[in-house]
Amino acid sequence: MAASVIIVENSEIIRKGMVDILQGSGLFDRIRELSCAANMMEMVSRYQPDVLFINPSMIDGQYRTQLVNGTGHTPKLAAIIYSFHDEALMDAFDEVFPINDSRPRIIKKLNALVKKETRGKTNPDNRLTPREIAVLKLLVKGHSNKEVSGKLFISTHTVISHRKNIIRKLNIKSIAGLTVYAILNGILGIDELE
Amino acid sequence: MKDIVVSASMKMADIIMADQRAMQLMPRFGIDLGFGDKTIKEICRERSIDPDFFLLMVNIFLNPHYFPNKKLKSVDVELLLLYLANAHEYYIGEKIPRLCSLVEQFLKVLNHPAKIQLQTFFNEYIREVLEHIEYEEKVAFPYIKKLLLQEENPESNFQEYTILEFDERHDNIEEKLSDLKNLLIKYFPPSNDRYLRIDILNELFDLEQDLINHARLEDKVLIPIVQEIEKDILKKK
Repeated sequence: MAASVIIVENSEIIRKGMVDILQGSGLFDRIRELSCAANMMEMVSRYQPDVLFINPSMIDGQYRTQLVNGTGHTPKLAAIIYSFHDEALMDAFDEVFPINDSRPRIIKKLNALVKKETRGKTNPDNRLTPREIAVLKLLVKGHSNKEVSGKLFISTHTVISHRKNIIRKLNIKSIAGLTVYAILNGILGIDELE
Repeated sequence: MKDIVVSASMKMADIIMADQRAMQLMPRFGIDLGFGDKTIKEICRERSIDPDFFLLMVNIFLNPHYFPNKKLKSVDVELLLLYLANAHEYYIGEKIPRLCSLVEQFLKVLNHPAKIQLQTFFNEYIREVLEHIEYEEKVAFPYIKKLLLQEENPESNFQEYTILEFDERHDNIEEKLSDLKNLLIKYFPPSNDRYLRIDILNELFDLEQDLINHARLEDKVLIPIVQEIEKDILKKK
């Protein structure tokens, strides 16, 4: 089933590049572009897209809430990334697309994203955010809180808070149990384990 | 059987009919099924079981809120240790082998990359349970037995170990068991195993209940009594 998408990105080079990849993926039958965030709310409520691509530097962290409350429709949120953004903001996204991702990788992520249930519809609290998944992946590979903090450029305090959230959401406490979870959900490949 | 306190004049069969978990206690006291309409008192007399001790165990086992203030001091610690050792025997001899064999069958029919990790996780869990039991049997219980001897004979040497060290060891085991349940209920994708997964979960729920009871018995009865004895001995020094 084809889906619709809106891209909000002020760089024309990047926006057109993304449009090209989206068209090539065959996943979307309707692609709309916006070069500034001003009309975004109106567009989302009018066209009810399945996916909304946004450059996070164009919005603030409250945007997701605004989106839900303002339009009555929640698209999946995808971030187009080429600079650093604050963590709380990144947690609002369902998927992250750094601009140096290869085309096959982007298409793979798109596929997963389109199939994914919307957060708002199922169990809003228990889905891991991309950031939590990144933390989980490093933890089950055997890295300490401190090592994870170094690798992801976040404070150990933040790592611990992610860790608590992961445990709360999954209801799995031991690292051994989390490892099984990570493999079951494709977060970690068997070959990635030492 | 929520919040009902079992008494000596009740019929043993009625207790089991009302709460099937009571059945598990029978072998630990050497009581066989087939006791007709006999009351707890009668059965205890026949088998030379201390009825107060039996009632204490049944009530703690069936009712999580039961806390025996008055009767604590009169508890025969040696009986309690024997009871706990019998429970250990049941875990090692019956419960764990059954669970292992179910998991083994499940892993055979399972075709999933996480299979090996599940096996590792499960083995690790079983190893921890066995280690815990071994610790109790080889360190904690012998210490308590020596303490009892010492209470009678204050001349002997006092050991520099206290039962408090033993207090903090139950958490990991319960944590892993809960993880295992969650993985099987929520996260393992549907598998073509007929009733195997359900059987495993039934065993896990059962084992969990039993282990929680076991821990409660140790934390609420055994440890407080032993602490009292430790204090008494120190006073006499």
